[in-house]
Amino acid sequence: MRKLIYLLFIIFVGFVSFKTIEPLFVIPKGWQKPTYDFTKNKLTQEKINIGRALFYDNILSKDSTTSCASCHLSYTAFAHTDHALSHGINNRIGTRNAPALFNLAWSKKLMWDGAINHLDAQALAPIHNKDEMDETITHVVEKLNASILYKKLFYAAYNDSMITGEKTLKCIAQFLVTIQSYHSKYDSVMNHQSTFTNQEKKGYHLFQKNCASCHAEPLFTNNELVTNGLIVDETLNDMGRMKITQNVNDSLVFKIPSLRNIEFTYPYMHDGRFKKLSEVITHYTSTVQPYKNLPNQLKKAIVLTSNEKVDLIAFLLTLTDRHFLYNRAYQFPKNILTTTKDKQ
Amino acid sequence: MRFFFVFFFCILSTPLFAQQKNKLVFHHLFTNKPLVFNENYILKNKDTVSIQTFKYYISSIQFLKNKKVVWKEKKSVHLIDEENSPSKIIDLDNMPDGIEFDEISFNIGIDSATNYAGVQGGDLDPTKGMYWTWQNGYINFKIEGKSTFCKTRNNAFQFHIGGYENGLATLQKISLKINNKKPLEINLDVEKLIEQINLSTQNEIMQPCKEAVEIANKLSLLFSIQ
Repeated sequence: MRKLIYLLFIIFVGFVSFKTIEPLFVIPKGWQKPTYDFTKNKLTQEKINIGRALFYDNILSKDSTTSCASCHLSYTAFAHTDHALSHGINNRIGTRNAPALFNLAWSKKLMWDGAINHLDAQALAPIHNKDEMDETITHVVEKLNASILYKKLFYAAYNDSMITGEKTLKCIAQFLVTIQSYHSKYDSVMNHQSTFTNQEKKGYHLFQKNCASCHAEPLFTNNELVTNGLIVDETLNDMGRMKITQNVNDSLVFKIPSLRNIEFTYPYMHDGRFKKLSEVITHYTSTVQPYKNLPNQLKKAIVLTSNEKVDLIAFLLTLTDRHFLYNRAYQFPKNILTTTKDKQ
Repeated sequence: MRFFFVFFFCILSTPLFAQQKNKLVFHHLFTNKPLVFNENYILKNKDTVSIQTFKYYISSIQFLKNKKVVWKEKKSVHLIDEENSPSKIIDLDNMPDGIEFDEISFNIGIDSATNYAGVQGGDLDPTKGMYWTWQNGYINFKIEGKSTFCKTRNNAFQFHIGGYENGLATLQKISLKINNKKPLEINLDVEKLIEQINLSTQNEIMQPCKEAVEIANKLSLLFSIQ
């Protein structure tokens, strides 16, 4: 009898803890272990809330006009649909296409050129970029420490209202890792809850044959950095990772983006040069430049008939995840950022 | 009664003596005199130089005897900033008394493991202004000033020395022979670095690069034991 009670207790505790941990972050069935080290930044709902508030708060920018969400919109997979290059304060235009944000717990290097090696440090880049928020983390932390709203939020999260750069950035990272996409039609097919149409199935085979070694399932990226043979846009002269490593082998090397939710993340490429998926596919079949550092996968041209291109696109559209796109937990936190007066 | 005074004096003064023991004190100099910000110094080659910023990280402090480590500081990272006088004194409170050593070693800068570990607090907090943002990583050593030989806006020069990967690592290990003298006082003569740089041709480093590595390799010239 005592053993039974003990067992029931264990099950109860297990159930309760499972219920509280599960919603904050999920490793979907069959996915590899995340690269993000959660032991160094333990997720709590309070800290995620702060990160979410900061993500939507213009307080991060110098003139209080621009937030992360200005260029990363939840309804379009946190990309800036229809905008080729990022927009900052005073209508300044950056040099790169704001990337979509999801499944970042699996990322290795961040930014198009892999300049950032850790998610916790990521937010510093747009905050300090002159063409984006043109602010400093030192001043952001001063502003936050002067805000009654944030003092209260940080006290609730840390039992200490002193706000530091470390806490601020780790809270933003907490919100970012919780942005997950794994409920697309593709996912339900893999989980045997749905089936592909014939066209999607054909597209999936073409994808596996021609694209999957770089855009590896289930993340649809292997998170590596390579050149994909694009011609240099001479109005930008963006040499990609070479600027970081100063190594010619990294000339025009950019991060391989995930193809999840690609229906909404146009325009495509690091500089947003392609508006349509068909243009992207045509690049890979016809206009890849024979650079010395081109990866083996692209050395031989990809051959696709026009019908096959249509099939491939039909498959790519199964990567749209409406559960993710319309997830309220990722949207503007009305309950936290109610009025701007609270922040003063 | 007198006995009590002596007794209390001993009790009260113990911490004072204890504080004297395990400390590392950094003195910033320019031509053997204490460095003064904004003062115009004249170099041997007739360059005029003034300094406005001087800060750097000291990490992995350890003491050696006959080339063997006898004590090392845990979580050893300190931001030394000329503008912030208390930062120039490192308390080695956890160092036990009576340890004999003949050498001290430490790094100028932050090791690559820390640079890969994301954002950290205390002296490593990115709000300290020693962290690059467009490309993450710590700035190991920062010196800024003016020289009439710099053909730049306001004759300014800025050297932000950092980098930890891609063959552009700038972390420097410094080893200094010492006796058991306490507190340990270390001199950094800024002139010894400045006179190695041709300010008319080189006046700005703001990212990891070969030039940063070259300057980092000269940093050991700065240090001497008082």
